[in-house]
This record gives sequence, C-alpha cells and structure tokens, in this order.
Amino acid sequence: MRPLLRTWRQRALIVALTRRELAARYRGGVLGYFWSLVNPLLLLAVYATVFRLVFQPRADVRPYALFLFAGVLAWGFVSGALLDAAETFRANGPLLRKTTVAPEVFPAVAVGARLSHLVLALPVLAGAIVYAAATGSVRPGAPAIAFAAVLFLLTLTVFGLALAISSLAVHFGDVRDLVANFLTLAFFLTPILYPVASIPQRFRAWMRVNPFATFFEAIQDSAFFFRPIAPREWAWMAGTAAVCLAVGAWIFERLRDSIAEEA
Amino acid sequence: MGETDTAIRVAGVTKLYRRYGRRHTVGTLKSALLSGVGRRALSADSAVQALTDVSFDVAAGETVGIIGPNGSGKSTLLKLLAGIVRPTQGDVTVRGRLAALLELGAGFHPEISGRGNIEISGLLLGLTRRQIAQRFDAIVAFAGIEGFLDAPLKTYSSGMAVRLGFAIAAHSDPDVLLVDEVLAVGDEIFAHRCLEKFGEFERAGKTILVVSHDLQLVTGRCRRALWLEQGRLVADGPSAETVARYRGRVAEEESRQRFESQSQITNRKSQMAPAGQAPRIGSGAAIVAAVRVLDGAGKPAAAIRSGEPARLEMEVTAANPLSDIVFGFAIATISGDVVFGANTETDGVPARGLDGDARIILEIPSLALAPGAYSVDAAAHARDGAPYDYRRDALRFDVTAPGKIAGVWNPPRRWSFAGAVRSAT
Repeated sequence: MRPLLRTWRQRALIVALTRRELAARYRGGVLGYFWSLVNPLLLLAVYATVFRLVFQPRADVRPYALFLFAGVLAWGFVSGALLDAAETFRANGPLLRKTTVAPEVFPAVAVGARLSHLVLALPVLAGAIVYAAATGSVRPGAPAIAFAAVLFLLTLTVFGLALAISSLAVHFGDVRDLVANFLTLAFFLTPILYPVASIPQRFRAWMRVNPFATFFEAIQDSAFFFRPIAPREWAWMAGTAAVCLAVGAWIFERLRDSIAEEA
Repeated sequence: MGETDTAIRVAGVTKLYRRYGRRHTVGTLKSALLSGVGRRALSADSAVQALTDVSFDVAAGETVGIIGPNGSGKSTLLKLLAGIVRPTQGDVTVRGRLAALLELGAGFHPEISGRGNIEISGLLLGLTRRQIAQRFDAIVAFAGIEGFLDAPLKTYSSGMAVRLGFAIAAHSDPDVLLVDEVLAVGDEIFAHRCLEKFGEFERAGKTILVVSHDLQLVTGRCRRALWLEQGRLVADGPSAETVARYRGRVAEEESRQRFESQSQITNRKSQMAPAGQAPRIGSGAAIVAAVRVLDGAGKPAAAIRSGEPARLEMEVTAANPLSDIVFGFAIATISGDVVFGANTETDGVPARGLDGDARIILEIPSLALAPGAYSVDAAAHARDGAPYDYRRDALRFDVTAPGKIAGVWNPPRRWSFAGAVRSAT
C-alpha cells in the first residue's frame, strides 16, 4: 500500500502539476477554460440533433441526448486517464531521472487532469438536466447527489488501474495499444449507449465481469433516472475500487525501482 | 565528530544497469503473457556495471568533490544517493533532508509563469507550500527576475532560467546537497554567487557532494575528493592530493595518446610540448614548491598596478641532481587564454642543471596588462618538454588600473589629433 501513501503525501505536488497541465493546455487559447465547456456542449448538441432527427431511441431513455451525455462524459474521463497513464512515464522521463520526485505522482496527475476536465464539464450536464426538467421530459430528484459518490469511487478505481498500466507500460511497448483496444471493447460492453434494462436477462450476470459496468449503471441511475442506487451496487463499486487500488499498488511497487531507469 | 555524525554511508555498492536488447524494445506484454509472465520476461539481455563495490562515509558538514572521466559512474553515484535508482548490491544511507541538483530547472515548464514554476520546482525539491511562500521573495531576489514573475518561462533568457533553477534549489534548505556539474552553465557573476551560496551552506554545517570536471573548484571548495574510474573508487583523500594524482593520471593518458598518434604519423622524436596546454603534469624529479607574485618593492602582492614593475618567483627543489632542466612561467586570463608564456630556453638563458633548492626569478619592468584577474602557471621541465612539475593556475593575482580598457593589453600610449578635431587644449 506504500504507493497509495506516497500519493497522499505528494498531494500538493499532484494538485500543482495537474493545474499546470490544465493551464499549459489552455494558455494562449482565446477561450481558455471555456474550451472545457465548449467541447461537451458541442457533443451534447450533436447528440440532441442526431438522436431526435435520425435515430429513434427506446422510450425509456428519452431524451436520449441527456441519457448518453452523462455516460459519455464519464467514459471520456476513464479512457483518457488510462491512455494518458500508459504514456506518462515516457513523457516525464527527464523529471524522473533528474529529480527525486516519487513516480506515483505521474499516474495521479494523469487521472487528476482528466478528472478536472470532467468536473469542468459538469455545469453543462447540470444545465442540460435543468433544461430537460423545465420542458418536463425528466423529473430530477435527490438521488442525483449520489453521482458525486459514484464519481469518487470510479476515480479510485481508475487510479488503481492507472498505477498498474503506467508501470507496466515502462516495460512493455504495447501496453498503450492493448489498453486502447480493451477500452474500445469495454465502451460497448459497458451500459453507456444503452440502459441495463435492455440487456437480456441471461447476460446480466456476465455484465458484472466488466468492472466498469456497475459504475455506469449507477451513473445512469443517479444522473438520468434519478432513482436510488441499491446497497449491493454500492458494495460492489467500493469492492471494485479497493481491489483495483490494491492490485495496482502491488504491481506498481514491484516495478517501481526500475521506472526511473527505464522511462 | 563521532559515528553519529555520518551524513552519508555508502557500503559495498554495486550498480548494474540492465540493457534490454531488441527482444525487449519490440518486446510486448502480449508475448510476455504468451510465454508466461515472470522474472524471465522481465530479465535483461545484458547488463552494464556502472559502479563496482564502492564504499565511503561522509561526515555531516563535509564538502566532498567527486572527480573522474566521463562514464566513470559519478552521476550514477549521485542518483543512488538521491534515491532515484537503487543499488544492485550494497547499501546507501543518507541522513537528513536531501536535495539533488542534477539538472538546473528540472521540471520547468515553458508555458507557465516564473511564479508557477517556482511553486512546482519547490514542491519537487520537497518543500511544502508554506515554505515556498516564505522563501518566495528571497528566491526571486537571488534569481533577479522581479519584473518577469508573471511572464511564461519561455520568454526568459537561458541565464535567467538557470539562475531561477539554482535559486530555488539553494533555498530548499537541505541537510545534504548533491550537485552534478550545474555550475558549468551561466556566467561568471552567477558562478560566484553559487560559490558564495555553497560557502554559506558549508558554514551552516551542511553536507555537500559536488560532481565536477572543474578541478580548480574541487581543490578550492572541497577538503576531500573521491576519484572514480570505470565505476571503481580509486582514490579517496584530501582534495589537493586526489586531484594531483588524477591530473597525473590524465597527463599520462594524454601523453600516451599523443605518443601513439605521433608515432603513427611520423617516427620522429616528439617535439617540445607547448606550454600551457597540458594540465598539471609531473614526474616529480623537480618540485615547484612555491610560486609568488611580487610588486616593485619586492613584497608579495595580491594586486599589481598596471604598468608598474612586477616579479614572478618560484621555489624549486630537486631531490637528485638534474642536468636537463628548463623553468617557465605563463600568465593566463581566468577564462584560460594565455597572455604570456616563456621559459629559460626560449628566452636564451638556459640553466645548466639543478642540484638542490633554488629560486627562479622573472622580472617584468612594466606589467602592461589590462585590469582584471590573472592566473600564473609555473613549471620545471626537461628540454624536450617532459614535465618534472607543471603547476597550472598555481596562483592568482589582480591587475588594477584607473579607467576601463578592453582586452588584456594595456600598453603605454599617447593620443594626438591632427586636422579638424576640436581638442580641449
């Protein structure tokens, strides 16, 4: 568990590097931080147009643009963070070789930067929910608050995976490609484009093999259906987060000594 | 100082760098999974031994120089001490807070302001946010970047960036400071401020390890020096002694190489080695025991007025009588440009031999040097150039003069005007 402890101790540096990552990305752009809003807004506009005019989604997931939006935002965080984690040690090689910085910092920053993008886009999601409520197409309720807790557990899970992926990527050239392929596959196996209700009953148990499935079911429940998340699902998410953190930390600790040499 | 005052302990340290061959550069997780993940999949194809069985202790408050040719393991040693890499065998113990200056401005980001970079560099060096806030003004003042704090770092001159990097590290207040050749960058004023800061550290009882190719710096700043050669510690002792031995070894190596290359081209006897090109060399058959600069009154002087008489002296001693001997002096600027060099042969006053102690005196009726700092080389060598004792930069002195003069020569001179120049008289 030492990598987790070190991460906690370095939180000031992680926050500073994450802020730098964001600032460096937006520096020089006319819109600055508004890009974080513009991207998801455009995405939302495209969904709203395509799924109103072209495809006719199921009745229980209308307005489909809103249904899709929360899931796609969260998935953007997951896939972005894991792909960044696969490259973070190569990108930060000089720092690793020339300073005494704890390597845990870099996967944490990869996750932190992507999480920041998600959080910056949340006002758009909130606005979309308020708009949908005003037009009477959804009825928001208290369970929406659970979204924050789901996001927290999802972040822990992603960080655990990022620890494993970043340290393995130092040794194996193809980790990023493997991760990219798994993510494409997982995107369709995770309830993002469709609700859990549309999965045939006999496959539901198998769905749980995918560690992300329960998280995205919970995201749909809290941010679209506004219904409470079952205690069993909470337990499952907490358990997933704990296992991912433990396994990620274990792998990271085993490979840690060679990171500065190989990166 | 007792056992408890040991700041650094390196015990039997060996460091192997694994080199992954072609198999691993295209080596993939997929193939590792197929062939069975395990130690085998992560084992190296070959290894490079960067350090071999190195042991030494450094007491708290010591300033130690590490010298040796490129690739001798100096930087690896610092990385091990900093905890960036681990020893393959043996133990490294460092007591107290450590700061490693392996590269000035490591972690700087060009798009971010100086202010932002100070914060991140400080955190990278292990400072807390509060400590950074407290020392912020001192860092900015030391680096001299007051007007540029909110400009992105990419708008800084390289000198400013280097100053900022050193300023942050210097204010990180470590107990143990590791420095890798960072003083080679930057101008002279900056180098002086860095050295001043080192002096402060020393007086505060901090432990400093410096890797440097600047042997002058090592002898001047460090009481003790470690000499690494091909990953092994070949000498550990007083810096003057270690550096002298190292210089001797380098000279040996150079003359061997020169001899080899010459005998390849021609088979003739090697011509006289030009003075001032070799670092300290010496067979020791004659020893230059002391070197002095004296003023017109014959008193040792640290500064000579330009145009005044000066005298260079060296005390030479030979244990056994020598019949083949030449004495020479050279004067160079601090940056190493020789402005004068002559010896008893070239000046046509050959010495017939040396039987014991002697004083060699060179009178200069008018020292026509421009104001500045100069260094003196003194040498005793054979007529074919083989050195008995060549003391490079044996002594420094200043030349003073009213007014400014460009260059190194300050000749006696007179201006006059002809034609339509309105003159004062």
